[in-house]
Amino acid sequence: MIDKNKLNDLANRLMFKMEDGEYDTLLREFDITLKQMEFIGNIKDIEKVNPMFYPFDLELDDSYLREDTFNNEIDFNSMLINVKDYEGSKVKVPKVVE
Amino acid sequence: MSKYVPVIGLEVHSELKSNSKNFSSSKNGEGEVNTNLCPLDLGYPGTLPVVNKEAVRKSLMVAMALNCNVPEKLCFDRKNYYYPDLPKGYQITQFGSPIGVHGYVMIDTDSGPKKISIQDTHLEEDTANMDHMSTYSLIDYNRAGVPLLETVTDPCINSADEAILFLEAYRNILLYLDASDARADLGQIRVDVNVSLKREEDSKLGTRVEMKNINSFKTVREAIISEIDRQTKILESGGVIEQETRRYDENLGTSVFMRSKVDAVDYKYYRESNIPEIKLRDSFIDSVKNCLPILEYERRHKYIDVYGIGKVDAYTLTKDKKLSDYFEKIISYGSNPVDTSNMIVGFLLGYMNKNFLSLEDIKINEDDFSSVIKMMSDGKISNKQAKDIFTKAIEEDKNVMDIAKEMGSQISDKEEIRRIINEVFSENTKVIEDYKNGKNVNGFIMGLIMKKTSGKVNPGITNMVLKEELEKL
Amino acid sequence: MTELFIDDMRKELDNKSVTSSDLFNEARDKALKYQDEYNSFVTIMDKKEEMDSNTKLSGIPYGLKDNISTKGILTTGSSNILKDYIPVYDATVYRKLKEAGAVLVGKTVLDELAMGGTGTTGHTGIVRNPWDKDRMIGGSSSGSASSVALGIVPFSIGSDTGDSIRKPASYGGVVGFKPTYGRVSRYGLFAFASSLDTVGVIARSTRDISYVMDIIKGHDDRDMTSLPDDNILYSDNINNEIKGKKLFYIKEALENKSGNKELEQIIDNFYKTIDKAREIGFIIDEVSIDKELLETIYPAYNVISCAEATSNNSNLTGICFGNRIDGKDINDIMMKTRTEGFSELIKRRFVIGSYVLQKENQDKLFLNACRVRRLIVDRFNELFKEYDGYILPSTERIAPRFNEASDKLGDDYLILGNHLIIGNFGGYPSISIPSGFVNNMPVGISITGRAKEDYLVLNMANKLEEVLGYKGQVSKSE
Repeated sequence: MIDKNKLNDLANRLMFKMEDGEYDTLLREFDITLKQMEFIGNIKDIEKVNPMFYPFDLELDDSYLREDTFNNEIDFNSMLINVKDYEGSKVKVPKVVE
Repeated sequence: MSKYVPVIGLEVHSELKSNSKNFSSSKNGEGEVNTNLCPLDLGYPGTLPVVNKEAVRKSLMVAMALNCNVPEKLCFDRKNYYYPDLPKGYQITQFGSPIGVHGYVMIDTDSGPKKISIQDTHLEEDTANMDHMSTYSLIDYNRAGVPLLETVTDPCINSADEAILFLEAYRNILLYLDASDARADLGQIRVDVNVSLKREEDSKLGTRVEMKNINSFKTVREAIISEIDRQTKILESGGVIEQETRRYDENLGTSVFMRSKVDAVDYKYYRESNIPEIKLRDSFIDSVKNCLPILEYERRHKYIDVYGIGKVDAYTLTKDKKLSDYFEKIISYGSNPVDTSNMIVGFLLGYMNKNFLSLEDIKINEDDFSSVIKMMSDGKISNKQAKDIFTKAIEEDKNVMDIAKEMGSQISDKEEIRRIINEVFSENTKVIEDYKNGKNVNGFIMGLIMKKTSGKVNPGITNMVLKEELEKL
Repeated sequence: MTELFIDDMRKELDNKSVTSSDLFNEARDKALKYQDEYNSFVTIMDKKEEMDSNTKLSGIPYGLKDNISTKGILTTGSSNILKDYIPVYDATVYRKLKEAGAVLVGKTVLDELAMGGTGTTGHTGIVRNPWDKDRMIGGSSSGSASSVALGIVPFSIGSDTGDSIRKPASYGGVVGFKPTYGRVSRYGLFAFASSLDTVGVIARSTRDISYVMDIIKGHDDRDMTSLPDDNILYSDNINNEIKGKKLFYIKEALENKSGNKELEQIIDNFYKTIDKAREIGFIIDEVSIDKELLETIYPAYNVISCAEATSNNSNLTGICFGNRIDGKDINDIMMKTRTEGFSELIKRRFVIGSYVLQKENQDKLFLNACRVRRLIVDRFNELFKEYDGYILPSTERIAPRFNEASDKLGDDYLILGNHLIIGNFGGYPSISIPSGFVNNMPVGISITGRAKEDYLVLNMANKLEEVLGYKGQVSKSE
């Protein structure tokens, strides 16, 4: 059963908070989505179909794997522009809570 | 009441050796802080993974060495979780179709050989490195994306000793394959341990407790022993084991609570569609298979069972693949395996150790090494002479066979030896007195003879002649 | 003259009656002029990038969707969480255009992180339809469509995960092409749903699309899913004879049970369009497809795209890039950064995506969606054995007024409103071209063809475009 508590837990695990009113919209969306998916679940023999994760098979073999040569494309100086806080050449963050 | 049996499973993470990272082209190896970087390693939007062939090759080798089945197609999945050392917010790993499944590793326990079954081994990527200060943490992304191989055993290990035997065997497989340097002190091999207890007669496993990220085998042992102890106490006092993740605290000598099952992260594994399925052709599989060396366990058993080398020496010889290779090459030139082993274990390793040398410093080629051992086995030179030849060869960086010639061959002529013995008698009248007074002086005199001749006399013949001469007195 | 075709500008550039700087300045001035009113751009370039080259596109101005990585140039994904993000690397599509000498005019507004179809959710405000300011342009390639419809640039690069190029192109009366999955490298495209995402083009003619495709397509070692080169110049093949090419349309998609007047006119426009297609030699059949299967398209898309999106955007935490909001500990930072960084819509999508991937739900929800995706694709692949493509109205309606539509999930359901997703499910090349007007707003028809046959879809669309008469239209005539 999906309720606000469940949604709140999901949101927290995704590292954001949502407003109370936002959950109402979301609950309605869940309602619709789950109903539609129930319909899909009832398609005959659906469980026998191989799930599709790619639009088509690219038919690649091991020769497409990357040759193992190294090339460092960026360094800390190029990172800096987007780093909010750092010390030496390391990105700084407040203490990690266990 | 019956005793509790510990049931232990291990997950071993090892960083693979390669030039570049698993999914980007930045360097895998030493480097200044935050220099081994590509956009992907930082999780920048729009970046895509491209799989490193060498990482696949190395993990396939390990999978084969673990006697695993390997898949027809290579696939990767995402493991989703939030942590500051994981820039993409997910780790690319193999969940549905690991590169190796259902394998095993043999270990020799005190009660005989035991098969440790391997659930799977899968290729994934390492996280960034974090330094934790008192109020803040610092992140270095050099390690982010380094190829990591995780091997998972079945819960089939029953003691700390077995766990360590397995870990040593596994590390040696990595070293034999040159797949990883596997240095625990550098974090290149890290272990998660799960422990449960059950009564002997129970078939069902007890509730398991997981301890994560242990950095040395010594600590693994301590952690297992202390956890068995902790759980035993709880059970014996009528308590219940909670399914939870704990962290072993070396200072406390016990595990401390991290999170319970309720708080367990759902990693929401699903297919990484940025990496297409990649068919591993027979030619590729075969080329990897053909590179596989014979491994420690097999070699050790051959040394013991076929060559008749003692157990301890066989362990010593096979512990290091380079040493084992050296030994095997030497005996391929025809020298007796036991004599060769004795020379290596009984002399060479001690010498190397004393002088801080590694095998690379020993320039004696295998053919010559074998010839000297053969001369010794045939009685043409003494054991001491052989050692002297090797010592000289190492210290003076000279050709072994030249030294052998230079030092001359062994004196085995009876009359020549008799002459030398009589010289020794006349030079050491005190000893003769002692002998006449009933003292056993054979050993002492032998020593004097050896010293006088620099060990060149044939010891067997000398001993015989010495007895004859002593009786004459 | 930036409201003309690429060929026109090429001619003037080649005979030196204009310079690329003239074109850049003209485009830039127009961009600035229309910015307040229509909001096509997140960033308008101050200076022209200098690049020597000798291609069809050298000196030609263009717009680039702001979810495509440009080194040193702000790239926001139209999201607050990336409002100050300056990439350190170039997307492959941008690099190729730069090397070809095309001139970037600006980074175009999208629906936040490309998730949405209204053009109303970007962090810099709503994008308006150049044909009617009270209407949406659609999305998510909103600014890419409006910049072309306004005649600011001859083409803009967009991205398409469900219909994000074709729908705004259709609402804007211009041409939008979603190539075969992997035809254009995704390296540098901010991922929305990796198994559906494509980079494509919006322009005012199929010919211009093909010029751009000839530059940006091709295998890329940085994108494992990119296709091998097809070694065909699309622009050389758009005039090939199409007599005898077979298309089908889906009977169930053209039902209008409610008797909606606007829909009726759209369907009417469609039938007139296919009549013209038949006149030039297309064979067009009506095909019936199980309605229940067609009705699974949107729910399956919703589940798959939300699932992939929640994972793809978990890199946005403010740790080493992005708009970090300070907090008392690291979790607090991530929490605040994401709470303030994402709009409500995005959060709802992420929660749905996360739910369907959870261990206990994954099989029934995410995997079932992936299963039904295969059923749909199998059905269309089967049809594509006989047919060279399918043709339908691009959308079920004209561009909505701002108060008429939302990104909230509804249960009113029209097959015609969602069929473009089929192109993403099967990775098929798919184009929308303008086919006329309904209630003074542009409408379009779409052709979707076999995977990897991009040249043929462009060829068929070009031939049809020739006889429809809406080629090159812009909303503003100067």
